[in-house]
Amino acid sequence: MKFREIFRFEVAYQVRRRMPALFFVAVAAGAFLFVRGNYLADAMYADFYVNSPFVIAGVTVFCSLFWFLLAATVAGVAGARDGETGMHPLTYTAPVGKAAYLGGRFLAAFVLNALILLGVTVGVLLAVYLPGVDPAAIGPFRIAAYLTAYGYIALPNAFVATAIQFAWAALSRRAIAAYLGSVILFFVAYGGMILMGIFLENRDLGALLDVFGHVYITSEAVLGWTPLEKSTRLIGLTGWLLGSRLLWVGIALGALAFTHARFRFAHPMANPWWSRLLPFGKRGATPRLIPTLTTEGSRLAAGATSLPEMRQSFGFPLYLRQTLAIAGASVRASARSLGGFVLLAALGTLALFVLILPEHLHSMGTPLLPRTEYLLTFLTSPLTNPFTPWVVTPLFIVLLAGESVWRERQAGLGEITDAAPVPEWVNVLGKYLGLAFLLVAWMALLTLAGVLVQVRQGYDRFELGLYLRVLFGLQLPEYLLFALLALAVQGVVHQKYVGHFVALLAYVFMLFAAWLGIRHHLLVYGSGPGWTYSDISGFGASLGPWAWFKAYWVAWALLLAVGAKLLWVRGKETTLQTRLRLARLRLTRPTAWVASAASLLVLALGGVIFYNTNVLNDYRSDFERAERRAEYERRYVRYAKTPQPSLTAIALHVEIYPERRAVDLRGTYRLVNQSQVPIDSLHLATVPGSVTAVETGAFTFDRSAAPVLADDALGHRVYALREPLQPGDSLRLGFEVRVRPRGFGNGGVDPFVTAKSTYFTNDDWLPALGYQPRRELFKPGDRRAHGLKARPLIPTLADAQANQDLTGEAHHERTTAGGIAFEAVVGTSADQTAVAPGALRRTWTERGRRYFRYASDAPIGSDLRFFSAAYAVHEEVWKPASGPQRPVLIQVFHHPQHAANLDWMRRSVRASLDYYTRAYGPYPHGYIRLVENPGRGVGMHAEAGTIDFTEGFARFDPKSDPKDLNLPFAVVAHEMGHQFQPSYALAEGAGLLTESFAWYAAMGVVEKTYGREHLRRLLRFFRQPQPIPPIRQSVPLLRAADPYAAYRKGPFALHALSEYTGRERVDGAYRRLNEKRDAGLPPFTSLDLYRKLRAATPDSLRTLLHDLFEANTFWELKTERVAATQTKAGTWRVTLDVRARKVTVSPAGVETEVPMDDWVPVGVFAPTGEGAEFGQTLYLQRHRIRSGPQTLTLTVPGKPADAGIDPYHLLIDLEPFDNVEKVKIEN
Amino acid sequence: MQLQIRNISKTYPNGVRALNDVSLTIPLGLFGLLGPNGAGKSTLMRILATLQEADSGTAHLLPSTGSGQVIDVLNQKDQVRQTLGYLPQEFGLYPRVSAEELLTHFALLKGIAERRARREVVEALLRQTNLWDVRKQKLGGYSGGMKQRFGVAVALLGNPKLLIVDEPTAGLDPAERVRFLNLLSELGENSVVLLSTHIVEDVSELCSRMAIIDGGEILLEAEPLRAVDALRGRIWQRVVSKDEFQKLEREHAVISTKLLAGRTVVHVYSEAAPGPGFEPTEPDLKDVYFSTMAGHVGRRREKTEVGA
Repeated sequence: MKFREIFRFEVAYQVRRRMPALFFVAVAAGAFLFVRGNYLADAMYADFYVNSPFVIAGVTVFCSLFWFLLAATVAGVAGARDGETGMHPLTYTAPVGKAAYLGGRFLAAFVLNALILLGVTVGVLLAVYLPGVDPAAIGPFRIAAYLTAYGYIALPNAFVATAIQFAWAALSRRAIAAYLGSVILFFVAYGGMILMGIFLENRDLGALLDVFGHVYITSEAVLGWTPLEKSTRLIGLTGWLLGSRLLWVGIALGALAFTHARFRFAHPMANPWWSRLLPFGKRGATPRLIPTLTTEGSRLAAGATSLPEMRQSFGFPLYLRQTLAIAGASVRASARSLGGFVLLAALGTLALFVLILPEHLHSMGTPLLPRTEYLLTFLTSPLTNPFTPWVVTPLFIVLLAGESVWRERQAGLGEITDAAPVPEWVNVLGKYLGLAFLLVAWMALLTLAGVLVQVRQGYDRFELGLYLRVLFGLQLPEYLLFALLALAVQGVVHQKYVGHFVALLAYVFMLFAAWLGIRHHLLVYGSGPGWTYSDISGFGASLGPWAWFKAYWVAWALLLAVGAKLLWVRGKETTLQTRLRLARLRLTRPTAWVASAASLLVLALGGVIFYNTNVLNDYRSDFERAERRAEYERRYVRYAKTPQPSLTAIALHVEIYPERRAVDLRGTYRLVNQSQVPIDSLHLATVPGSVTAVETGAFTFDRSAAPVLADDALGHRVYALREPLQPGDSLRLGFEVRVRPRGFGNGGVDPFVTAKSTYFTNDDWLPALGYQPRRELFKPGDRRAHGLKARPLIPTLADAQANQDLTGEAHHERTTAGGIAFEAVVGTSADQTAVAPGALRRTWTERGRRYFRYASDAPIGSDLRFFSAAYAVHEEVWKPASGPQRPVLIQVFHHPQHAANLDWMRRSVRASLDYYTRAYGPYPHGYIRLVENPGRGVGMHAEAGTIDFTEGFARFDPKSDPKDLNLPFAVVAHEMGHQFQPSYALAEGAGLLTESFAWYAAMGVVEKTYGREHLRRLLRFFRQPQPIPPIRQSVPLLRAADPYAAYRKGPFALHALSEYTGRERVDGAYRRLNEKRDAGLPPFTSLDLYRKLRAATPDSLRTLLHDLFEANTFWELKTERVAATQTKAGTWRVTLDVRARKVTVSPAGVETEVPMDDWVPVGVFAPTGEGAEFGQTLYLQRHRIRSGPQTLTLTVPGKPADAGIDPYHLLIDLEPFDNVEKVKIEN
Repeated sequence: MQLQIRNISKTYPNGVRALNDVSLTIPLGLFGLLGPNGAGKSTLMRILATLQEADSGTAHLLPSTGSGQVIDVLNQKDQVRQTLGYLPQEFGLYPRVSAEELLTHFALLKGIAERRARREVVEALLRQTNLWDVRKQKLGGYSGGMKQRFGVAVALLGNPKLLIVDEPTAGLDPAERVRFLNLLSELGENSVVLLSTHIVEDVSELCSRMAIIDGGEILLEAEPLRAVDALRGRIWQRVVSKDEFQKLEREHAVISTKLLAGRTVVHVYSEAAPGPGFEPTEPDLKDVYFSTMAGHVGRRREKTEVGA
């Protein structure tokens, strides 16, 4: 009875507060935006339904996160209202048991929250069925999809979050503590994700700690679903999802039980509230006698009284002191009231970083140097980036601002302080400074965390100046801007929780404005182009635009501050009307001055920014940008098959002016008509855009030509040749390109040229020949949205072959098979070194600038890259052991501080040259060059004679421990492999000639350098789902174009083939392709390679060859039981029960079982020593294995420990862990 | 120094008319504002303490000599606050701060800029309010009376020329009350002190002038002694049993009753002897209050007469 009444009253009370309704609307809006903003495009692209169970579950997870940060007040108010309103003497003394009181309150909060989360369902339904969705993306309505998402995800989330929020609020008797509970849970949620990311072997733990289901929904178990599965498969409450649900519901029940045990119907004590959260420790203050009236007091009471003289002095000096006093009081109060928590959070963060970040200082299993610039990427985040754990900082700011503004009123001191002679601005500024101080302290803490991480890693270049500049100079201002907003909102909105709500809503808007189509940074508070930092280029030119935008928002912040001053709630008048009248009284002359100055600044700075972003630069929305590409295709695709001459030689003069961020390019192309027909018009692609930093001048010809069309907006020009270019004839084309910085755009400045570094490719600025298919939109959804027909992502094999027959060249590559002769003179500033394709012929200094002349010593591809920076250069010469190969100059251009991994880079280059020149034919160039370039990521990229790598790659710090995989060594060998790859047509299956080949080649180098065990380590790394998860449903390798095929399955297949047939045979197939390199043949396709492989494979292995390349085959090999008995002779008889199955999987995910009768290795191993996967090999032979269960019996000389089929995973099996089992010894 | 209030009215958004055309002239010294709960006392005091807006009317703080500055209380809030001491009817304190620390903070807020002066002032006030011995204690452990005394100390900071105290004696024990009233009367020598209360003794003991307010209207503005004088000979008393009382109430203008040893002491307002059993009694301020409330004296009576 009582329980029911408490429940009923609580629900009715909260509904009257209108907050639940607001939250419901907010959650529904969030779901709507998430579906429309995130999933719709994906659905169109990846061909699953936008109302599929997968999408609904994802939205539910996202909205749960959003909801529990937003709506903590529901549980908070239910748990702590009586204490906060002072009602507790009445309610606590009512004859109600703790269970009924807490239970009723909790249940009410839970029911309300469960109802609020129904908003997700409503939001999804609206997003799906309101106009604006392509009907093709909507699947049939399935009630089960909504019910499972709600029942398995939303409802448990509501229960867990409500329980934890309620526990915090009830035990602390403060509603705000519910938010703190939320934030801590949020940290745990993110912590789980981080754990999962770091400890790959502890992924299960990450999945188990998954509070809200986000680990599950982002796990490859779900992301790896086929489009068909994504569209139809229901979320099942099984596996880790079930585990995590049970765990957290258990924790929630525990929290409720703890609350029940610790809660007291007692008057709140003055000791800190968090002491009640401690399971042990003092309960309440020790009773103390408080003298209410001393005898002295009584005496005085009767006697005369007198007050001292009190001189007041009003004026600016006093106001300054008052400001500081208010700031100080605000900081002290935060420290007192949130003391335990702040300390906890601070120490927690420190610990998190110092303990966990070093574990995170790995990329793909290889340790990374904790360089300051790298650590700072963990410690900072733009205010408007939603995908970082640092979204908690603004949430903290919202909470702290609320506490700060409401402190006096909550304590009941509001009337007294409001009546004190303190000007409004002093109050606002004081509270703001208090907040600012906390933020400064936070930044100091992060600095400390970073330095401690470096100390712990034994790294000693701390770069404190960089920490200070980034954290205090760049990150702090972002938070300070937001703090002012939060404070102003709390000061003006006269309801604390509504204030929280409005401030959070403002923050969510800032985070997701882009999803709403609001992308201009002039329109989203605090936003702006980000800054970038790299050791090579420093901040580049990114600080200027950053500062302009921030100055603009500071001006707005000033206006906000003025608004806050005018509308700040002071006294009992809270209606807007009255406050507007009061505002007129408060609009003093200085205030008016500040307001006008700020308005002027907003206009002036906004004007400057607008001039830069929209006049000097071309401001386009994403849609408009895509439309430009669509328009290019619509207009010029008809020239796609028009025969064009081929580029055979390039001569360039490049002048780089780093300090002005300008580049001048002059050059000539030599073009040869390699087609069978005369060519009468030339189609030239220039950098599109009429407003651009890149100006392409008029083209000149060594024969008579007239411009027919110059479409600069789309970047297409046509010249008519008076005399057609006959087959075999050539012409010279001259051009000039000027690159000048033009202020900054909405996204900042292009990073191509900065004062310290320059990096660009031919694609960026140089003219290209013919219609450019790569400018076409390729996502199916985008194409549909712009009214274009679907197109394959990549030319099909059939197309590629047809093209070969037709024009003698592949569809996309307009270079000749023979490559390009290249030469260039590159000038740069005196302190920098410029790098371009080709061998360095000469360098000189002229008019205070350095010049470099490069010329190719053998034909190169059309991928041209240019670099300039103050490099340190390492040089050495590799000499071949024998043969026709000439010596090769190895050069590494690197940042002077990034020399840590130079040694193994050059060792890898040498080992690669040793191996590849023997296996795949001579290296065509007299040089190989590794060039570091600024930028994030850990990538390497190979072009002819040059390998460039990002600064991130220079961060790899493989330990000397021989047990660790030296992945960077392998990556360099892989890039070196690209130098030896056959010429290829860009079409389906090209991966076998490029990436798969390069990895296969690198495996050879790794094995040769570090041994077979190290190669197995590399293969183990490859079998991990990160960073490239397996794709099961696909086309055969010969036609595949996805990253899994190119980087994983292809290398596996080539490796398996080489294990079965001998490495020399596979190497030989490639060598024979390369031998034809100079024969003037068209580029090869995967079919050309396959012919060579077939020729090299014995008949007995043709099935295997077919399975690996011609079909998308997966083996399912499993050892079910292994038993061994010792024979009288002392040997061991091993019996293996194995099961085998072979299937092919179609791109749609249809599985077809194929009868299996294959040679599969069977191995038996002795007990392992430490570290190694297996002990000594006792037996390793191929056996014929059929489909289904079968038993093998072998005899081995020593005592076996492990045995199984395909122990080294030659055959492609996505469940590799069950191949080998422990041997059961029987006697 | 004089506070002039003219025609102040205030209606709350929910339609409650809190003040209706209130005019008062409050001279130097203690001025008692007497009225039942909900009469509009606190609203008036908050308006004068710059915390609430009047719908209409004016309030001015006039200087004692002709040379000083007139302060428009309703519009020159900053100036008012610089000379205002305000003790609200209800207030709380930060539980985890000591009295000394919080009072020092308020001293700065009240404009006592110099550190040493602040320390002296804080010490003097803590001693005055008898909180010196417990100055280091956290305010969360204070009793109701101690909190009230602390509020008084805050109100007295800065020697306010205008002191507004809303039911200050409510939570004080008798000794504390005396002590506080002494303090107030001392302050009243140089300041305008507006004291609201529903305890008639507070006014009779201290105030040179007073007003009775009910339903948002000033029913009587007078000097307590004169008001009592004016009532002399019109208040009659009779001690009756409970049964008799009902009959008596129908026949006479009963202004107040109280219980005395199980019987009811009835006061009746009458300009002539009301009849047998009644004996004339010496009126006190309570009788003034109840007569005014009952409409025998003051504005309410004038109204009925006009109406009749």
